[in-house]
Formats: sequence, structure tokens, C-alpha cells
Amino acid sequence: MSEMTENLDVFTVRTLTQKEYFAPGHRACQGCAEALALRLVLKALGRNVIIVAATGCMEIVSSPFPFTSWRVPWIHVAFENTAAVASGIEAALKALMRKGRLPYKKITTVAFAGDGGTADIGLQALSGALERGHDFVYICTDNEAYMNTGIQRSSTTPFGASTTTSPAGKVQMGQITWKKNMPAIAAAHNIPYVATACPSYPIDLVRKVKKAADIVGPAYVHILSVCPTGWRSFPENSIKLGRLAVESGIFPLYEIERGQYRLSINFPRLKPVKEYFRLQGRFRHLTDSMIEEIEKRVHQEYERLKEKAKQK
Amino acid sequence: MISFVIDGQPVEGKEGGNILEAALDAGFDIPNLCYNESVKPYGACRLCLVEIIRKGKRMMTTACNYPVTEGIEVFTQTEKVLQARRMMVELILAMCPGDKLIQDMAKGMGVHEVRFKKEEKDCILCGLCARVCDEVVGAHAIQFSDRGDKREMGAPFGEEAMDCIACGACVVVCPVDVIRMEEKEDERTIIRWKRTLKKKKCKICGNYFAPWFQLEKFREYTKLPKDFFDTCYTCRK
Ligand SMILES: Cc1ncc(C[n+]2csc(CCOP(=O)(O)OP(=O)(O)O)c2C)c(N)n1
Ligand code: SF4
Ligand code: SF4
Ligand code: FES
Ligand SMILES: [Mg+2]
Repeated sequence: MSEMTENLDVFTVRTLTQKEYFAPGHRACQGCAEALALRLVLKALGRNVIIVAATGCMEIVSSPFPFTSWRVPWIHVAFENTAAVASGIEAALKALMRKGRLPYKKITTVAFAGDGGTADIGLQALSGALERGHDFVYICTDNEAYMNTGIQRSSTTPFGASTTTSPAGKVQMGQITWKKNMPAIAAAHNIPYVATACPSYPIDLVRKVKKAADIVGPAYVHILSVCPTGWRSFPENSIKLGRLAVESGIFPLYEIERGQYRLSINFPRLKPVKEYFRLQGRFRHLTDSMIEEIEKRVHQEYERLKEKAKQK
Repeated sequence: MISFVIDGQPVEGKEGGNILEAALDAGFDIPNLCYNESVKPYGACRLCLVEIIRKGKRMMTTACNYPVTEGIEVFTQTEKVLQARRMMVELILAMCPGDKLIQDMAKGMGVHEVRFKKEEKDCILCGLCARVCDEVVGAHAIQFSDRGDKREMGAPFGEEAMDCIACGACVVVCPVDVIRMEEKEDERTIIRWKRTLKKKKCKICGNYFAPWFQLEKFREYTKLPKDFFDTCYTCRK
């Protein structure tokens, strides 16, 4: 598939498979873009996968006993060991195929976790798996807080966002730290493929996940996933918010292939971050001067990214 | 659901479906290049060959356009089938020797040399692009022309595809990735169809967001107000 496909979402999405490997009827909130991300990821992967999923919203909504939304092999594991279990599965598949106990076949091992499960709790296992070079795909669905337990901050919660453990009030204006750069941390392991994606750009997301699965060795895909409940936004704005995050430069879409950065979509004129913020209650308390400060930093980081990608 | 058997294993397929789809769903590996769920099967690449037994009669057929049928037996890995598929992939490779995907596929199927006259094509003539353009997009911008070894996909006389809205659907479905698209700030080109369309600039944010011609088509089709596409999606109220 061609490289520049991020804007093609009118007819192109209809050429994606109609098969749903993440079944409808799950219990995610209305407008949950994390569930949408998962659905698209599974469409991209097809049926020859084994999914290893950490705890988090996506596990809770998809597997209330005795139901399941997973139409592909799936195992739920603890927070700390998602990438370790995926490593074990990948190694086992390899060994079984080598010994002739399984016919040779491409089966993709995929680990799934939220931002809390990735950037905080599961980071050690993830780092180990990336460093050992297992042939697997790690997907982080980033909704920028521990949503399932009631909107606690994580290390990927953006500066200024109000959560229940970084509340906006007299003492503090929401989160006081800047978002941890997970894609850069993954890339620092010198793995062959790292990408950012967002379900508001479905074809781009599918293309990246396919690429991640095709590449031999570890691949990391970081997906911004709008959460209306935690972001205090209207469910009908989820797709728009994903787009605004990208268009404002807050969450740029890019790939890092063997260390080489490439922007998937570049905006010569970034939208004001205010447009993104004003649709979300978690930023409601921010003053204009604070928003200006945040915007400055967003632009700086966007410029730095462009330099890395050698794009103008 | 319709019950039948693949390689000795009982499977089910939905009414109106084809064998290839049912087999892939059930986890069987059958090579295929010209199949995409969003359009009607066409049977062009002939890689999905299988043997079937129906009412006691044994025959070879392409799986993508053979309907699932109650009680048939399908064989996906017989020596006869594998040999026929090797021949097909060898022919495709002879036509497009430079295609990486075809090379890999051929190698995987045990074809290491090509005995036929080699051509220098890159398109495998699977017809997926035109089927998607017709059936999904409705633009009817490209079609096959000529026959035999002159057969080609494109706009009439190989000129600019004047009905192409540069949506990129064909770019996405081409199995060998030879339909390339070039995106500049203010225009988009579907290189293979020689089609360049200027993009429209959003009145509010100033970003160019989609090809003019495409937006006009949408507007006509959906009877949206004239100024609907003056703004991009995120600026639109
Ligand atoms: C070992 C362990 N610690 C804590 C919990 C409680 N817990 C369940 S879901 C969750 C939040 C997960 O946040 P994140 O990974 O960001 O996923 P999200 O719910 O936001 O999708 C927590 C802390 C748990 N289930 N297991
Ligand atoms: S880009 Fe042009 S030729 Fe290709 S599917 Fe769209 S309208 Fe048809
Ligand atoms: S251009 Fe691609 S999709 Fe179109 S017929 Fe050729 S190989 Fe098939
Ligand atoms: S997939 Fe059946 S003939 Fe091409
Ligand atoms: Mg989270």
C-alpha cells in the first residue's frame, strides 16, 4: 500500500474487510475510540493472531464472564507481564514450528495494553521484550489516563489535564508533568518499526498495523484513543477530537523505520490547540496564558519532529 | 449456513458466499491475489485453485468464484492443485518478473525459475482497481483495454483518467502496489492514471484538505449546500 494514505477515508475504508474480529455488543462507552482502535487493529491483523491483553477498559468491556468479544485467540494477563507473556508465546510458536509440532505458518503475536499498562506498569517487561528482539507487535491504546479505575493520571496524561489524581483546583491546574514520549522510548531500543496512529485516520492505522505485523522483529504502535468519559467530551466528537489532536500538532502521526523518522501527514499550518482543548472538560480550567504556554511547547516539539524527519 | 468439507474437516459457509472466503475463515491457507471482499470475485489470478468433488465428480476450480455448496468436498493441498498453482504463479512471474511480492510468493510455492518468455510489466492484470472503482467508488474511471499480451489497465487510450476523483481506493487495493499516489500540499496525483487534481483550501484554517473535483462530486451526489465544503471537516461547525 502506498505511503501517503492518511487522508483517504471516504471510499477506501469500504475496501477493508467487513469481518469483525472484535465483536459488537461489548460494553465500551458510547464514542469510545479505544474500542474503535481495537476493532481496526484486528481488521488489519486478520485471523492468524494470538492476542495478549493487559487489564484495562478494553479487557473489562470485552470479557465479562461468560461473554467475550474476541473472535481470535486471546489471553488476559496481569499488568506487569503483558510483553513477557507475548515473548513466551512468540518463542513457543517458533520452537513448535522448528520441531515440526506445528505446521509452518505466519502467526502474529500481539500484545495490547492501555497507556497505564504500557508507559507505567508494563514498561519493564516491554523494554525487555523489545531488547530481546522478539518477533511481535505491541499496541498501546493511549487514552491518557487510567480510565477503567476512574480517570487517574498516568505518565502519558498531557500537561494541564484534570484527572481524579491530578485535579484542577486552587492548588494545582491539573497534570503538572509533560506527556511521556513512549514512541521515542520504544525507538531507543533500536527496533525495526515504531509508529503513531489514531482511529480518526483509519486507513493510516490499518496500514501501519499491517506493516508492524509484516516486519520481522519487534514493532511498537502507539494509538491515541479518545475517551469521552475521561476527557469529559461528547461521544459524537471522538473522531473530530482525534483529528484535531493531529491537526494541532499535539499528536503527530509518524513512523520510525529502522531509526528513520517520517511524518505520515504534515500540516504547514497547525490548528490552535485551543480548538482541541475547548471540546474537552478536562482542560476547561486552563487560562489563555496557560494554553499559550502549552501551544509553544507543542510547536517546539513538532518542529523537532520535523527536523528528525527532515521534512519542512 | 451451508455445510461442506475442506481437507476432511467439516466447515460452514454463508449462503451466497464463496469457497475461498469460507476456507480462509476456517483457517486454511489458499494463495490469492485478485480477491477482495468488497467487490465481486473475478477469477483472474487463478492462484486460488482447489479440487472439489461434487455429486461424485472431481474437478479443479478457482475457489474465489465457486459458491459454497451443500455437501461438496474441497481439497486445497493435493499434488495436482499445488502443481497447477505453481504453473499460475510462474506465468504471473514471467509477466512481472520485478514484482517483489510475486517473487516471494513464487519462492514460497517452490517456483525458482521461470521457463516462459519474460515481459517487463508490473501490473498483474488482476482487475481489482477497476472493480473497486466501479463497485465501491462508482467513478468508473479505469478499465481493461486490448487483449492478449497487449491487455492493459487504465483510462481509455492510456490517457488521463478524466472521471477519476483521486480517492485512492485503487491505490489501497492493488495487491502489488503499483498504483502510486503523490500528495503535495495543494494537489494530489494518481500517478498511474495520470490524474492530478487541485485540492481545496479550507476557508477557516487555510489547509488544503481534499481534491476539488472529488468534493464537487460528493456535493452533487448528496445534494449538500453549495458552501458545505468551503471548510474542512474539523473547522466545519
Ligand atoms: C496488577 C493490577 N494493578 C491494578 C489493577 C487495577 N486496574 C484495573 S484497570 C486499571 C487501569 C488501566 O489503565 P490503562 O492501562 O491506561 O487502560 P485503560 O483502562 O485506560 O484503557 C487499573 C489500575 C489491576 N487490575 N491489576
Ligand atoms: S483514485 Fe481514481 S481510479 Fe482510483 S478508485 Fe478512485 S476514482 Fe477510481
Ligand atoms: S494496477 Fe494493480 S489492481 Fe490494477 S489490475 Fe494491475 S495489479 Fe491489479
Ligand atoms: S483469488 Fe481466485 S482467481 Fe484470483
Ligand atoms: Mg488508559
